[in-house]
Amino acid sequence: MRTIDYTIEPPVIEGNPSLSSINDDIARPLETKPPKSWYIAISISLTMLLTGAVCLAITFIEGVGVWGVNQPVGWGFDIVNFVFWVGIGHAGTLISAILFLLRQRWRTAISRFAEAMTIFAVICAGLFPAIHTGRPWLDGYLLPYPNQHSLWVNFTSPLLWDVFAVSTYFTVSLVFWYIGLIPDLASLRDRTTNKIKKLIYSILSLGWRHSSRHWNHYEMAYLILAGFATPLVLSVHTIVSFDFAVSIMPGWHTTIFPPYFVAGAVFSGFAMVQNVLILIRKVFKFEHIITLDTLEKMNKVMLVTGMMVGYAYIMEFFISWYSGNQFERFVFLNRALGPYAWSYWIMVSCNVLFIQLFWFRKIRRSIPVMFIIGVLVNVGMWFERFVIVVTSLSRDYLPSSWGMYIPTIFDIGILIGSFGLFFTLIFLFIRTLPVVSIAEVKAVLPKSQSSYGGSH
Amino acid sequence: MSYENQTFEAKPLPARFKQISFGLLFLGLVLSALAFTIDSHRALANYNVIFSLLVSVVVGNLFLFAIEYLSGAVWSTVMRRVNEIFISFVPIVFVLGLLILFNSHSIFHWAHEEAVKTDKLLQWKSPYLNESFFIIRYFIYFVVWILFALVMIKNSFNQDKSKDQILTYKNSRLSGAFIPFFAITLTFFSIDFLMSTEPHWFSTIFGVYYFSGTVLAALSVLTLAVIFLHEQGYFGNILRRDHFYNFGALLFAFVNFWAYIAFSQFLLIWYANLPEETFWMIHRWEKGWEIFSFILIFGHFVIPYFSLLSQQAKSNLNRLKFMAIWILLMHYIDLYWLVMPSLYKEVVFGWIEISFIILGVGIILVLFIWRYERIKNIVPVGDPKLKRSLEFHL
Amino acid sequence: MENKPLYSVSATFNDINKVYEAIQKINEVGYKNYDVHTPYPVHGLPHAMKLKSSKLGWVTLIFGFSGAIFAFLFMYWVNVIDYPLVVGGKPFYQLPAYIPVIFEVTVLSASVFTVVWMLFILFKFPNNSHPLIDTDYIKRVSVDRFGISIQANDEIFELNKVKEFLKSLGAEEIFEIYYKVDELKDRPRIFDKKFLAFLALTSIVVSAITYFILNQLLFMSPFNWMHEQFRINPQTSTTVFKDGFGMRNPVEGTVARGYLPYPFKGKPAEAEMNLVNPLIPTQQVLKLGREKYLTFCSPCHGNFGFGDSRLKGQFPNPPTLHSDRLIKMKDGGIFHIITEGQNVMPGYASQMTVDERWAVVHYIRVLQRAVNPKESDLR
Repeated sequence: MRTIDYTIEPPVIEGNPSLSSINDDIARPLETKPPKSWYIAISISLTMLLTGAVCLAITFIEGVGVWGVNQPVGWGFDIVNFVFWVGIGHAGTLISAILFLLRQRWRTAISRFAEAMTIFAVICAGLFPAIHTGRPWLDGYLLPYPNQHSLWVNFTSPLLWDVFAVSTYFTVSLVFWYIGLIPDLASLRDRTTNKIKKLIYSILSLGWRHSSRHWNHYEMAYLILAGFATPLVLSVHTIVSFDFAVSIMPGWHTTIFPPYFVAGAVFSGFAMVQNVLILIRKVFKFEHIITLDTLEKMNKVMLVTGMMVGYAYIMEFFISWYSGNQFERFVFLNRALGPYAWSYWIMVSCNVLFIQLFWFRKIRRSIPVMFIIGVLVNVGMWFERFVIVVTSLSRDYLPSSWGMYIPTIFDIGILIGSFGLFFTLIFLFIRTLPVVSIAEVKAVLPKSQSSYGGSH
Repeated sequence: MSYENQTFEAKPLPARFKQISFGLLFLGLVLSALAFTIDSHRALANYNVIFSLLVSVVVGNLFLFAIEYLSGAVWSTVMRRVNEIFISFVPIVFVLGLLILFNSHSIFHWAHEEAVKTDKLLQWKSPYLNESFFIIRYFIYFVVWILFALVMIKNSFNQDKSKDQILTYKNSRLSGAFIPFFAITLTFFSIDFLMSTEPHWFSTIFGVYYFSGTVLAALSVLTLAVIFLHEQGYFGNILRRDHFYNFGALLFAFVNFWAYIAFSQFLLIWYANLPEETFWMIHRWEKGWEIFSFILIFGHFVIPYFSLLSQQAKSNLNRLKFMAIWILLMHYIDLYWLVMPSLYKEVVFGWIEISFIILGVGIILVLFIWRYERIKNIVPVGDPKLKRSLEFHL
Repeated sequence: MENKPLYSVSATFNDINKVYEAIQKINEVGYKNYDVHTPYPVHGLPHAMKLKSSKLGWVTLIFGFSGAIFAFLFMYWVNVIDYPLVVGGKPFYQLPAYIPVIFEVTVLSASVFTVVWMLFILFKFPNNSHPLIDTDYIKRVSVDRFGISIQANDEIFELNKVKEFLKSLGAEEIFEIYYKVDELKDRPRIFDKKFLAFLALTSIVVSAITYFILNQLLFMSPFNWMHEQFRINPQTSTTVFKDGFGMRNPVEGTVARGYLPYPFKGKPAEAEMNLVNPLIPTQQVLKLGREKYLTFCSPCHGNFGFGDSRLKGQFPNPPTLHSDRLIKMKDGGIFHIITEGQNVMPGYASQMTVDERWAVVHYIRVLQRAVNPKESDLR
């Protein structure tokens, strides 16, 4: 039997580095020229982005008829992708805010990166409601401003709640991320010799001078933001789930959707964060900062949230029988055995089956296996949204209204484009801003806090 | 630190406390027996509410125990023995529930044969909602809970002497295995005892709803017990503001979580406006039941929210004691609100309800005394995380 | 170096515990205007410096509440007062549906205003001309040193005394920090003239761009492509149909919604024989009948059916409704006259619905009975 020593606290950062080495290590990618691999990576992601842009342009010119959406399946890849990307964003806020409230010190090494991923994911997500009408230039009407039609938005529609929720989420995440960046930008300002960079860092860091009087307020603001970001992140995906659950569609209208969606979002978000972190720590040689322990903890979170998703599947299935509602029953049989059964079984195997491997410590600590499982989880969660949206729409109450949804090349192109956008933003981020929070990591090093400190 | 010289032996509880507890239990038993003779239907319904509350408290504490092991938390290790006292109630709670089990036809409409004959929906649900399967499921829930509870707390007790870290490792593995079983058994328990009192109604989030209340009930009871023992000197001076803060924070967090689940359930049913679902909510908004709904909104959410919002409030012992009692009471109101409107069209609340509340409180107190006297150390002295727990700082 | 005034004497330390002890001594000696600089937040330091805990939470509470109330009032005004619309059969005031937006706006205003308040009012940022910026002192602190800075404007400040004092506390390096600009503006920078001018300019530019987009751009190509549609608009011609008309007549035999064809067109006798009043003369029906009678019938036939309206005396006279013919006529006959008209009287089918006409018939019967009551009525 393997032995863990429970009497000692596992170190957050390995190797007991000095404070100055933290500065040097984290600032290094910002001060050196990018290696060839970076250029190759960003070319690939830019190509994907360009593909999406071209497909999008054609969509705007020709109309959404070039997509596979039809009657009855009026929501296809556009909404599936929206929900997918919003879900990805949730991991970042969970790591930044919720783990902060739970005082889990291992979050410090990954919170900056995770928050950045949240912002990029929300950008990708926000594109889809903007474009899915085919006439994005009319999106101004989504906002409640006095207009010449004297019309207001429908405040009681979950589609509008989405507008408020996603924009609030984006704004608050951006503000939270920026606040965290200020001390680091100040450190970069103090160490750079490049005049232009100095100007930019000075402007962005607002003149931060590491004053304790400021840290006092800063810590309070950070706590307040974390305290608000937590219910915010729950509310955002809850409101996204309301898009479906407030309807009367069988398979959509079920009360468990809000926590189910939130758990699923954290699940897929952590898988994406885990995947990207594995690449980052290898490329930047941050293995002592983003430790294997951290990755293992993330895998545990994935296991827990994966089981919550599995629980929701069981509950939906049981109640579909218990309710006596034949339409509800049919939806679930149709998902497993109907024309889209292949997507259902991909979803179940990725979300419920493969994730069980994380019960085993050896697998939780094996980089190649966890990476593959992370990819499979993302595939499974994408398909979960596909199953929810498409199968429920393609066959609902009236058999004469049934119809199939077949995605077109433009649907797929835009999906690829969203991945391209996401990764392009990440690649730009890693070479312009510090990927790890310098100040927060320093604060959790052993011996960084005084022995006089602590609470009353 | 001065704790190195303390022995952490469990000192006997004060006599007055024991007197009051036995007194309450006796009073509760007498009054509830009286209630049974006067109106057995209403008495049994109340007993169902109290029994569900007890299950909340006990199984909820088992959940908290498992979470401590799984998350590697150290702040709660020093108080875990109190948690284990509540967990050890499980076999007795099993016995207490038998009364409902063998009188299910009184409060469960689906157990009435004549009703099932004429009601298509009840016929459809009868493979699940029938007395025999109900009994079998009851046994399954309690076998699972009793097994996990007894094995895990036995490990913890044994560790007092052996100080073997393997026992912590074993409990971590058992805790991990427990959680999925917990989710399923608690959900179906709530469906069986609470949701099926209105057999025409259904809600997929119901298990989560009961879970949110369960965690609150367990936390409240644990908070009260720990603070009581601390203030009477049973813990010496080892517990500090840092330890208590987490109680406040968790209570606050789960009050929010409960409100979120309750509101989600309500909003979706209200918005879709399907008569097959809305009738349950409408029942709770008319003929006097709306009072209880308002009490829940303000008492179960608004008041605890603002009461525990500030950082100081979360570690203020008086505030915590008051809110723990308040939240436990609100959980009772919540369970009452789930069950009674389905059985009584017009609002009922009288001396019968009070008797059963007294009975419930009496049961918890007396069981606490009984199990407390069986423990040797009030702190798990052999736990490897103990030192870190004693030194815990926010 | 020009003779700029001294801002502070700052010292770096490399051990956080030394800093703690130093702060105790500073408090004992009585310096008040000092600050401690650390590369990361150190717990307990503000407490040691006798700083009160941050009151920022109150800002959050106030702005959060305001956001919530504003969102609620705005939605209430929009949905109940300004433009009520029945959506989904729900009432105009629907609090459960307002909750999500109220929540989001609360979080948004609380978070954003907290940060804005902290940065611009509490910290008085941006402030890149603070004397400590760009000094070696701050450059050390950014990396791995802790610093204590005792300001020159402290009451008991004396340059050499302070330098020795800091040395005695175990400082590693000691710096004299001078002002780089002539004065340090102390008011929050957001009231700076340049910044306000910048804000004004931005508002004007943003308004102009918004106006342009909403009122001009959206009507320019390609955004106006959908304004021209391939459908046939009202009153346009088309080559699709042989006669060139875009608007078509409905197919022979089409009836409008809610319209039932009148089977007794031009057949008063058959109408009288076959039509039966479907309404019962209840209070409500009679009230309706009276209302419609007074509106449509009384201008010619008088308020009580005597034909004594202001048309009396002009040819042809509107007849009285109490004639034998009308008393004997069955309800269906009266209904037919109202529907189709007779002689000079127009038909009122387009002004009253079928039910309304039947109600008027009942009312006419009431008037007739009032003038010619039955024996039983008079007892």
